[in-house]
Amino acid sequence: MTIPAPLVLIGAPLAMAVVLQLLRRWTMFMALLATLTTLFCGLLVSFPPLLDILSSGAWQIALEEPLSILGRVVVVEPADRLPLTFIFITAAILFVIAWRLLPHSNFFPVGLMMVAMLAGALMVKQVVYTALLVEMAAILAVFPLHEPVGAHYGRHTKGGARYIVYMTLALPGLMVTQLLLDLFAIFPNDTTYLQAATILLGLSFAILLGAVPFQTWLSTVATNGSPPVVTFLFTVNLGTVWFMLLAYLESYAWLVTQASFAPLFTTVGLLMMVIGGLLAASQRHLGRLVGYATLVDNGAMFVALGTWQVSGVTLAVMLLLARPLALGLMTMGLDGLRRLGSGDDAVETLAGAAWRAPWRTMAFVVGGIALAGFPLSLSFAAHWGLYRVLSAASVFQAVLALAGCAGVMMGVLGVGRVLLAPLPQNASREHSPEDPVVLILIVLLIGATLLSGIFPQSISRIVAEMATGFTFFTS
Amino acid sequence: MTPFINWLSQLPSLISTPAAWGIFLTGAGIYLINEWRIRFLMWGAQYFFVGILFARIFDTRPEMALLKTLVGWLICGAFLISARVRGQTTPQVGPRWRWSSNLPFRILSLLTMTVVAYLASQKYPLPFISADLALACFILIVLAILFIGTEEDDALVTGVGVLNLLSALDIFYSSQDPGLLVTGLLVMVNLLIGLAASYLAVVEVAE
Repeated sequence: MTIPAPLVLIGAPLAMAVVLQLLRRWTMFMALLATLTTLFCGLLVSFPPLLDILSSGAWQIALEEPLSILGRVVVVEPADRLPLTFIFITAAILFVIAWRLLPHSNFFPVGLMMVAMLAGALMVKQVVYTALLVEMAAILAVFPLHEPVGAHYGRHTKGGARYIVYMTLALPGLMVTQLLLDLFAIFPNDTTYLQAATILLGLSFAILLGAVPFQTWLSTVATNGSPPVVTFLFTVNLGTVWFMLLAYLESYAWLVTQASFAPLFTTVGLLMMVIGGLLAASQRHLGRLVGYATLVDNGAMFVALGTWQVSGVTLAVMLLLARPLALGLMTMGLDGLRRLGSGDDAVETLAGAAWRAPWRTMAFVVGGIALAGFPLSLSFAAHWGLYRVLSAASVFQAVLALAGCAGVMMGVLGVGRVLLAPLPQNASREHSPEDPVVLILIVLLIGATLLSGIFPQSISRIVAEMATGFTFFTS
Repeated sequence: MTPFINWLSQLPSLISTPAAWGIFLTGAGIYLINEWRIRFLMWGAQYFFVGILFARIFDTRPEMALLKTLVGWLICGAFLISARVRGQTTPQVGPRWRWSSNLPFRILSLLTMTVVAYLASQKYPLPFISADLALACFILIVLAILFIGTEEDDALVTGVGVLNLLSALDIFYSSQDPGLLVTGLLVMVNLLIGLAASYLAVVEVAE
């Protein structure tokens, strides 16, 4: 009997999510099972020989075998393998990080459910189902985002509410696009359907990706939400949306031929980078800094796609791959520093915190530098490539992009300066006890960031190979 | 088909315009009165009117309209419980029944937006759906904007706004594609939003 791979990729995380709900008392088991499940799914997609090992005589898992649900086809296409690997492996890393940060949290079962939804969104080929599955994953995220774990995260729920609002605002555009495409199939000479579909699709993706002026949800979520879950949203959820965009550009040739798309992407991207950089540079809250740094990073990805070159896609994918490492580090730092400030992450509260929580401070600063695209990090290699491609066409645009990243760097350095300030006279000088597992994770993440920064060639080669699946700029 | 069922199936097309205005009146009640018991009743009534519109869309499958209405009432129940929990933890000051704050502004914005919705439904008719359904869609969108725009700090009212927006989308989309899978997924999205908004309201209280 042949089992379609989509059934395993969606079914395994969902089934495990149910099991994890029963194991809420044992955080280690939850983290371990969640990590193993997502790792297994990631390897299943990225390492096809595993399928042969798993297949016994009667049962065979077939990667290309489509799964039909009420007449709708869910299938793993070659271009889906990179996105699926990315979301599963990133989720696995984040489950490990959350192990010590979110005890007894519903993040593990809900995170698995979200991964299943997002994997389904990538594998289903109709826009309407993709949109609904992404919406469901977004709504599910609210539960761990404001879970009162560790006494600091549930207090303000504005971030979660705003996230739901924005994700729902993006839904009509995507769903109506499907209707318009169906109408265009019936009336192929009426191009107004295509124009309307292009506008709606563009608007929906702008909201989903937090493009200016829809960026407010990024900073609010980062300010109010639990750091590991915020990182999950900014890497796995946003990553899925980016891959959805790439998939649509690949599937709908007419979208690429819209002449205004390249300048639109570049303009929106540069706007995001400049505004994000300005806001990050003047930021006095650590959580918001994470949000604005992500805004700049998203902007850089838009700019990369706006170059309308194959190398642009490669750079965009590389930026996306670099994000989990940087944000993972910032998460670990932010979590510890917030605990130190009793839930408050304003820099005034945390003045001198580096002397009490040196590792957390280091994690936050190194992660911030990496996300800003400065050496030594994988993100630096991607940003450097972007400046080179941009400067070939317009030096001014390259300078603007660099200025945006410099803004994030200034924000990180400003925060670092306050964290490293001498402790106030009346402040407690007690050293905050550090969990050894968290320390090991911080060291590992810093090591991985530095290594990927020193040797980016191997990763960029893999990314370039993977990006060949997206051929829309070559056609 | 029995005469009663026949009469019942014709009913939605006759009363869909009043149902659209019923949605407006109940929405106005939620917007203007700051008492969760009344808001809950209004919202339950609003789902009844939305159900009538769905009965028109799913004219050959009334059970789908019934399902949507029941899901709506289920969400109302979840909100009611959350509002009760919040009411118990927040000390009541002043009379139990009171108008929302900034009442003149709210009345003015409600009237303005309603006029906008009505004119939009006349000037920009939505494709492939009848005028009364289009009017209901515009009213629901306007109410959603008002709820989300003016009560962002209240997770429950924001949730009502998001669900109104989804109802508008649901009416419009289901008119074009009343497929079982899309309907099922939309029902799930509605339920999840209801649960998430209730959860946010309770979590805020717990802290």
